[in-house]
Amino acid sequence: MSEISGVDIELTDVVKRYPGQKKPAVEGLSLHIPAGEIVMFVGPSGCGKTTSLKMINRLIEPTSGSIRIGGEDIGRQNDDDLRRRIGYVIQGGSLFPHMTVTQNIALVPGLLGWDRRRTAERVDELLELVGLDPARYRDRYPRELSGGQQQRVGVARGLAADPPVILMDEPFGAVDPITRQRLQDELLSIQEELRKTIVCVTHDFDEAVKLGDRILILTEGAQIAQYDKPEAILASPANRFVADFVGAGAALKQLTLSRVSEIELSRPTVAEVGAAASPVLSAAKAAGDTSVVILDGKRRPVDWMWTTDLDGLDKVPAPPDDTDLVTIDRRATLNDALDTMLMSSHGSAVVTGRRDEYLGVVDFQAVVTRIQEHHEEQATRVDTEDPTGAPA
Amino acid sequence: MTALDPGPDTQPAGGKNLADAKGAAAALATSRRRRPSWGVLLGQPLFVAVVIGAWAVWRSNAELDAIEQRQLEWGLLGRLTVQHLQLTVVATVIVLAIAVPLGIALTRPGVKRAAPVVVAVANAGQAAPVIGLVVLLAIWLGFGFWTAILALCLYAILPVLRNTIVGLQSVDPTLVEAGRGMGMSNRAVLGRIELPLAVPVIMAGIRTALVLVVGTATLATFIDAGGLGSLITTGIRLLRYPVLISGAILVAALALLIDWAGRVLEEVTRPRGLE
Amino acid sequence: MWDYITERHSQLLYQSYQHLSLVIQCVLLATVIAVGLAVVVHRNPRIAALAGGVSAIGLTIPSFALLGLLIPLAGIGTATSVVAVTFYAVLPILRNAVVGLAGVDATLIESARGMGMGAIRTLLRIEIPLAWPVILAGVRVSAQMSMGIAAIAAYVLGPGLGSFIFTGLTQIGGANALNSALVGTLGVVLLALVLDALLLLVGRLTTSRGIRV
Repeated sequence: MSEISGVDIELTDVVKRYPGQKKPAVEGLSLHIPAGEIVMFVGPSGCGKTTSLKMINRLIEPTSGSIRIGGEDIGRQNDDDLRRRIGYVIQGGSLFPHMTVTQNIALVPGLLGWDRRRTAERVDELLELVGLDPARYRDRYPRELSGGQQQRVGVARGLAADPPVILMDEPFGAVDPITRQRLQDELLSIQEELRKTIVCVTHDFDEAVKLGDRILILTEGAQIAQYDKPEAILASPANRFVADFVGAGAALKQLTLSRVSEIELSRPTVAEVGAAASPVLSAAKAAGDTSVVILDGKRRPVDWMWTTDLDGLDKVPAPPDDTDLVTIDRRATLNDALDTMLMSSHGSAVVTGRRDEYLGVVDFQAVVTRIQEHHEEQATRVDTEDPTGAPA
Repeated sequence: MTALDPGPDTQPAGGKNLADAKGAAAALATSRRRRPSWGVLLGQPLFVAVVIGAWAVWRSNAELDAIEQRQLEWGLLGRLTVQHLQLTVVATVIVLAIAVPLGIALTRPGVKRAAPVVVAVANAGQAAPVIGLVVLLAIWLGFGFWTAILALCLYAILPVLRNTIVGLQSVDPTLVEAGRGMGMSNRAVLGRIELPLAVPVIMAGIRTALVLVVGTATLATFIDAGGLGSLITTGIRLLRYPVLISGAILVAALALLIDWAGRVLEEVTRPRGLE
Repeated sequence: MWDYITERHSQLLYQSYQHLSLVIQCVLLATVIAVGLAVVVHRNPRIAALAGGVSAIGLTIPSFALLGLLIPLAGIGTATSVVAVTFYAVLPILRNAVVGLAGVDATLIESARGMGMGAIRTLLRIEIPLAWPVILAGVRVSAQMSMGIAAIAAYVLGPGLGSFIFTGLTQIGGANALNSALVGTLGVVLLALVLDALLLLVGRLTTSRGIRV
């Protein structure tokens, strides 16, 4: 685990009252958000979760109460300066359509007066971090990107000036489920490196369970229904409201708590692109594998070939352009893993680690075994220890 | 209330944004539909060149009587064209200098409420028959260039003003909030996000104004402010069809060229990255 | 000014009637022509785009220039004004009709055809009614524009209130110049407002309640 680069946030009795409304939108919210954690704000629509989030960067001014970031009262700071030191990521990325990817990411560094070279280096570094090839994407305009890519750039833009705190407002709401799952995995692995303080609003409880170190469940007027670690909330909902909100199938939702990294991966034969084919084939035969995972120069999986297709070839070929090898991150949940496997022709899925590095293969049987183990653990466990290995 | 709604005080604005967004979508649809291909961009001046060329050949070879000779003398035609262009350019520049800043001001918080009133007034200016406007102003201020300019400005201010307002209002509010949320000042958001994104709509308004002005400048001859319209009035007064038709052709050709220049300007100023 | 109006009220009423009648007849004719053209072209995107382009370019031609071009053909007087006003009135309606017809949901047309409605019946019962609000918006633009063009056409002795404006112009310095020009201008504004209100009423009466905004 890397060092924590985030700072803590302290809300004290924060109230937001709109003129002409009887009830305050936020009615005395007090909350401590520990440094370096991801805290998910969830609740029914209209509960005040987005208002609460936007008060942290003063897009909405609190009526009363105080908010401290890293011990400093933000009410005393210039709001523009404050926001330049807080990352802000919005649904769909909200990229400025008339600016290139680089211009979008470089905006806040520009406002902070960074010099050209430092900014350019930072842009490339961030694009690498979010899994986009800088040479290919830095000069594109947002409309030349897919939804998922736009969202990645949105995350990179939020991280641009290396802020200790990042606010996210339904960041992955606008993309399809599979892309969303990937983006979530990527966010987790980025967070593993950076350890920022991330506050994220979502309406998707599963997303909250997957991403959150802690989950804040709010009811109307931003009243705290429960604020705890995901496993604690799943195991013992504080009240009827939380229980309803968590919904049926809490046991099934435990699947969302288990990660692929908890499963022992199988390691079939691998080969690098361009390697001679015959030794690979014989190695596969010796190991009893019918397929071979193909890696590129940076040990990133690019293809997954049947040995019969490799037979008769000189060298291990580069994958055809239309190959779309579906991989899963080791931080993905068992839920995600099952989804991915159902799409794969191999009945199993290639697992990757930090920066898409190849780790191994997870198969259906391994997942089922893990679910059974998990079930037994649940049955015998009394206290709620942390099965995810997330930082406490 | 809901967290997604900032509050009831801004709800009317939200509702208006929705309506404008619809308008903007329609505008976008038509702008995409009407987005000139290079064929149109090249075809229009080519067509004008052919017409003018044919007319010039006729003018050089036609047998004209003394009056026609005098009215269609090359130097006079040049002077009238320059006058016409002066009227057009000066009026358009003044319209821009007034309507764009006014439109920006009318979308800023606080002044926003005045926008419908100002647009209604500008609308009324356009509802009046332009010839009546020209004549009334001449009765009030006397004949001449600047009276004509005033009439042209009054008539052409609406499209630029309206498009500036609509263009700025139809900028996706989440982008504005994203800019604010990243720590851009209001001025920076206006200059770097709102205005660039509104440029296509504003430019469409400017082209409309240009076309209105170049056409209306034809009437300037009624108040002795010159321009190519005088060929048409002379032609009618003296019943000289060659003069009349020459005037009509030259005016139409100039209008098409100005319209073309407006289209080119629209293409050139459209920020890259926008469709 | 009041004296001026009462003195000439019969002439004023007559010219107002002439002005309104010219505009209404031309716009009606233009609506028929434009919708007819739109029906023919809207299925073919290329020709429809061409129609849009022609409409845009036609509108850039100054009305005074067109009047000039028409005089040798139609002479001085009513015929020239009718042709000119109708020409300009067609353009906005054509553009809107093409956009409106193209905007009708294709699945609706398909389901109408699937129910056994013929092409013409589909057009009359489904397509034109659905496109009607958009077409009518074009008609309103045309009507307002025609009011002004009819005023200019008075210079070539077309009928209507424009004659008051030009009388004012020729009598500048005279006692009644301002009265005359003002009466002509305000009269046109008034007629435009009346006609627009009329068209709004027509819109309410002829637009299906299901798609009324």
